[in-house]
Order: sequence, then C-alpha cells, then structure tokens
Amino acid sequence: MSAITRSLTRKRPSGRKALLATAMLLVAVASAFPLAWMVLSSLKTPGETMQVPPVWLPHTPTLQAYEKVAGVINLGRSMWNSLVIASVTTAGILVTSMMAGYAFAKYSFPGRSLLFSLLIATMFLPPIVTLIPLYRMVGSIGLNASLAGIIVPNLANAFGIFLMRQFIASVPDELIDAARMDGASELLILFKIVAPSVAPAIAALALFAFVYHWNSYLWPLTVLQGNADAYPIVISLSRLLSYNRGAINTGLVMAGATLAVLPPLVLFVFLQRFFVDSIVGSAIKG
Amino acid sequence: MAKAFRASAGIMLAPAVTLIGVFVLLPMLLTVWLSLQDWSTQTPFSGASFVGLGNFREIFGPTSVGRDFKTALLNTAIYTALSVALILPLSVVFGLLVHQREVAGGTLLRTVLFSTYMVPMIAVALVWSKLYSPSEGPLNQLLGLAGIGPQPWLSSPRSALISIVLLNVWQQVGYFTVLAIAGLTQIPGSLYEAATLDGANGREQFRFITLPLLRRTLLFSAVIAIINAVQVFEPVALITQGGPVGSTNVLTYHIRRVGIERAQGGLGSAMAVMLMLSLIVCVSALFAFVNRKDGE
Repeated sequence: MSAITRSLTRKRPSGRKALLATAMLLVAVASAFPLAWMVLSSLKTPGETMQVPPVWLPHTPTLQAYEKVAGVINLGRSMWNSLVIASVTTAGILVTSMMAGYAFAKYSFPGRSLLFSLLIATMFLPPIVTLIPLYRMVGSIGLNASLAGIIVPNLANAFGIFLMRQFIASVPDELIDAARMDGASELLILFKIVAPSVAPAIAALALFAFVYHWNSYLWPLTVLQGNADAYPIVISLSRLLSYNRGAINTGLVMAGATLAVLPPLVLFVFLQRFFVDSIVGSAIKG
Repeated sequence: MAKAFRASAGIMLAPAVTLIGVFVLLPMLLTVWLSLQDWSTQTPFSGASFVGLGNFREIFGPTSVGRDFKTALLNTAIYTALSVALILPLSVVFGLLVHQREVAGGTLLRTVLFSTYMVPMIAVALVWSKLYSPSEGPLNQLLGLAGIGPQPWLSSPRSALISIVLLNVWQQVGYFTVLAIAGLTQIPGSLYEAATLDGANGREQFRFITLPLLRRTLLFSAVIAIINAVQVFEPVALITQGGPVGSTNVLTYHIRRVGIERAQGGLGSAMAVMLMLSLIVCVSALFAFVNRKDGE
C-alpha cells in the first residue's frame, strides 16, 4: 500500500513504524502550528507580543484583545453581514444547482451535453477574468455597495450543478416514475423524492458554498466600495491590520482572525465527512 | 415522454442558466470585447471606443504599463510553477501517510491537514505576516534553533514571492492530499501483492505502480492547483501591496489595480484576456503531455 514508506526502511518493522509515526507527527504539527500560534497570540498582552525573542505561551492568558477588537471594528455587524452573505448565497446555490442538476441528470433535451460543457467550463474561469465588467454591470443595476451586490451574482455556480448532476444520476428512475404516476409535479418530485435520497451530497454542497462565501474577499472588497456598514468579517479583519501594523497590535489582529476562522472551522470539524466524501466523489466521478 | 419534459427542463434550467449566463458568460464576453476598446471603468459600456489591438501593444510595450504587466505575468508564472511543484509531491507523500494502515492516526492527520483549507485566506495572510515577522516572529526563532540565520521573508524582493508561495502551500496542501488519497484508494491492492511476489521493493512499487496509476489524479490536481494559484490576492493586497519593488505584484492584484482602482478598464481587460489565454495554453499542454504518456 504505502510504497514510499515501505522503501524508507526495509529492515525492522518496529523502526519503520517509529519512522512513520514521527513523519506523521511532524506533518501534523507543522500543519497545526500557525493556527495554534494564532490562538495563543490572541491571549497574550501587548507587552508579550512585542517581546524579542518571541514568547511562546501567554504568561497570564487574557481576553483583552477580544474586547478591543469590538472597539476597533463593528464586530457584531460584520459577523452578521458574513452570516447573511454566506447563508443566502448558499440557499440560492442549493436551489439552482438541484434544479439544473436534476434536468441534466434525468431529462434528455436537444443541446444537453453542449450546454453542460459550456456551464462546466465556467468552473475553470478565475473570477478576476470577469471582475471588471461585472463590477460595472452590478453598479449599473444599482446593486453596488450593498449586500445584494455581493450575493446576487453568486446565486448559481457550475460546481454545484456538476456535483448535483453526478449524485442525482444515481437516483433510480423507477422512484421518479412512480411519483409521476401518482401525479406529482416535477418540482415536487425533485424536492420531496430526489432531494432526500441525495441528502449527503446536498449537505456537502451547502458546507462548501457556506465556507467559500464566508471566506470570499475579492468580490465583496470590489463591489462594496468602502461601504463599511456592509463589510463582512474578512474585510473588517483586513482593517485591523491597517489600524496599527506594529507588533503591539498583534494580539488584536490574532483575536480578530480567530473569530473569523471559528465559524468555518467549527462547521468543518462537525461535518468533515461530507466535505471529504464530496471531494473524493467529484474527483473520481469527474 | 420527450415533449412534456422539454418544458420541465426549461423551467429547471432557467434559474441557473440565466444567472450563470448573465453574471459569468456575459462578463467574460465583455472582457474580450473591452480588451479591444479604450474604456474607463467609471463610464458606461457605451463610452468605449474601438482601438483594435492597441491595449495589447501597450501592455507588452516598453512603457511603465508594459513593464508592470510583464513583471506581473512573470511573477504569476513563477508563483504558479512553485506552488504546483511543491503541492503535488507533498500531496502524494501526505496522502501515503494518511492512507497507510501500519500506524494509527491517518484519519486524524487528514483532518488536521484539511482544516487549513477552511481558513479564510485573509486570516491566513494575517497570521503568516506575524509568523514571518523578522524580530518577533516565531519562524526565525525556530530557524535559529536549527542553526540557520534570520531570514527577511516578506521584506526582501528576493524572498517575498516564495514566502507567499509557502503560506499558500500550507493552506492548500490538505485539499490536494484528499484528492491524492482518493486516487490511492482506487489502486487495487492485488497489484502490490503481485509485485511483492515478483520481488519488487517499495521504491520500485512506488515508481511502477503507484505513480503511473496516480497520473489522472495528479493531472486533475495540477489543473486545479494552477487555477487556484493565479487567483492569489489576499496576502498581496493585505501585506505586500505588490512589493517590495514589484516582486509580489501578481496578475489578480495587478489587474484589479489597473482595471478597478485606476479605472483603466480597457487595459485591465486586455490583461485579463492574456491571463485567460495563458491558462488555456498551460492546461492544454498539460493534457497533451499526459495523453502522450498514456499512449506510450
């Protein structure tokens, strides 16, 4: 199975195991270190964050920095904005992706594969390529500097359609035909019959979309044009750094970062099974 | 069945197709059209005037516009190449560490690795800007313990871009590790058993079984890694603003600065078109390379 590790030591199995375990531990520590350091620094006093050489552990952990964050940025408002942006966008993506995924999986119509390829191609388009005209378009329909301007252009995406098509295709046709016999409408069939049988994929898509749009920075920054009332937490966070770039400010910046990281990370810890399954699913089936 | 369902198909597709059509495909076409126009982003599209390939001549020309764009293009190419060159091998090694069944803890390692992918890039940039701090940062402290002198990291034009590559690799490698694990799971264990019977050692098995059968996974990973890499924005916007001396001025940052902040919509669009063309060439070359190998 693990050929590279097998090749590292072929002598004694115990030495080989120790080597494997050491490698795994090193990788895990290196991976976890920046976030651990972020949380530790958020609990330090300004004096401690300025110390050279750096102190690793806060001497007397304090929540001062967290109290101060709320004074520098409008924390409650920013978190709420992020929640609205991520939730509404996710809801939109779920509905549009399920509908289109169902159509691509279960209907045959002329131009189906062409349309599907065209939509999928947009998955590989970096957002910067469309940023300039999109900025102008959203401005000209009066949505700039508002939450709606952040949300509306993202209510559908190719990844969601792709994922839903892959999973809905495996729902048995007999199930759908039986519901049609009973006179159910197509929308009812989709949301009452098909959706429950692809629930794990829907959960995965919801989590992906939520985390992606909670974290998204380039488009909100561009469309909001400095309207601080609509700032999501990631943009408010960037203002913490400009507030004071010195090391005296490190605790404050780390406290803000910890707060912004928590929602996506907590979601992930509880629901990582869905994330991982859907990545694996989209890679293999793709 | 066809006729009734054709109407249903229309209804089911309408929301997604309309939204993607209006907010992705239309702006993409507009970018191509605007790249041939002299246009200020602060005016309506009707204010554009046709200049042919003038914008392209300017962004490849000898003036400061051309110099800055060519630097950004080169920086993006270096950044992308380094990211892919680090992420792909690491994802395979980490994937093997998670996939092996001799030492417990693989799943936990996967969780730790993948969790960094959930962290907003802006927070990654903030945290790493402090980790890299030459005096109070822990990285130079750690290097000191290993007997290596302090590094300038983000403050020197020679090391700033690679410093941003490293934070990007840290954030993304977990995602690619999961892709690698998916690929490894697909390889039948019987192949390794047969190879062991034939006396192949671990290194030979890796070279002649694992790597060739991971080729499709690695191609997929490479394409995604390239597309992710050209999108790097937050660390540059937040920490370096393209500096020092233009060393971290990458395309996403530069295009936004020219096209939005300086409102030179035509020039910015021409740069965006060049980015799109470069991506198409890279990805096609990659596919051609892998397909030729497949034919061997």
